Amino acid sequence: MTQSRAITLNAISLYAVALVLAAAFAAQLVLHELPCPLCLLQRILFAMLAIGPILNTRFGPRPSHYALSLLAAVAGAVASTRQVLLHIMPGDAGYGSALLGYHYYTWALIGFIAAIVLLAAVLLFDRQFEDDGAALPPTGGLFAHAAVWLVIALTSLNVISTLLECGFGACADNPTVYELLKRFS
Amino acid sequence: MEFTLLFLAGAIVMLAAWRGSRALALGLYAAVMVACAATYLHHATDPLKLSF
Repeated sequence: MTQSRAITLNAISLYAVALVLAAAFAAQLVLHELPCPLCLLQRILFAMLAIGPILNTRFGPRPSHYALSLLAAVAGAVASTRQVLLHIMPGDAGYGSALLGYHYYTWALIGFIAAIVLLAAVLLFDRQFEDDGAALPPTGGLFAHAAVWLVIALTSLNVISTLLECGFGACADNPTVYELLKRFS
Repeated sequence: MEFTLLFLAGAIVMLAAWRGSRALALGLYAAVMVACAATYLHHATDPLKLSF
């Protein structure tokens, strides 16, 4: 895999992160299910997965950039595993509604494990770490630029959403209302 | 509130990675990951109802 192909692949991975963040937002807004603290932490760690691809797009692919995403994926897998274990006992209905038979934290665990496997697979291709005199512009072109700004925009929207949900205090363990909206209504 | 700050910090790391220096982005990334770990340990207090 050449350097330019790797940068395109990194841009695609940014769109994948954006899709996950957008899907979480859609569930929150359409189903009116507010994310719990562990759910928010998993969202943050999904967002942190994007740091490696952004650095790869800007500075060129490096193993250390992939390592950043790997660390975020492992941390996310730990957080989602804990939430799965919290609700693993028979008779426990779980937190929130299920999508295709799995709760969101179970999908998150699957997503983080898939990220770990894909990152390890991409690291197998050594040629991406050699400068190939890039056919692409240095930072990947419009496709990559749009992906970076999309992820930044979705993460910024989460800043607003979380502020509305938790207000200026600690987030509720089982949130049912937007604390900041309740305070001003 | 801590999650709002974590998302804000995450967005700042992304902007640093895209517009700032690589060293700054790496440093901020490390700080956010430490904060995430601390937040996880703060919230992971419920005992797991498991028996093996």
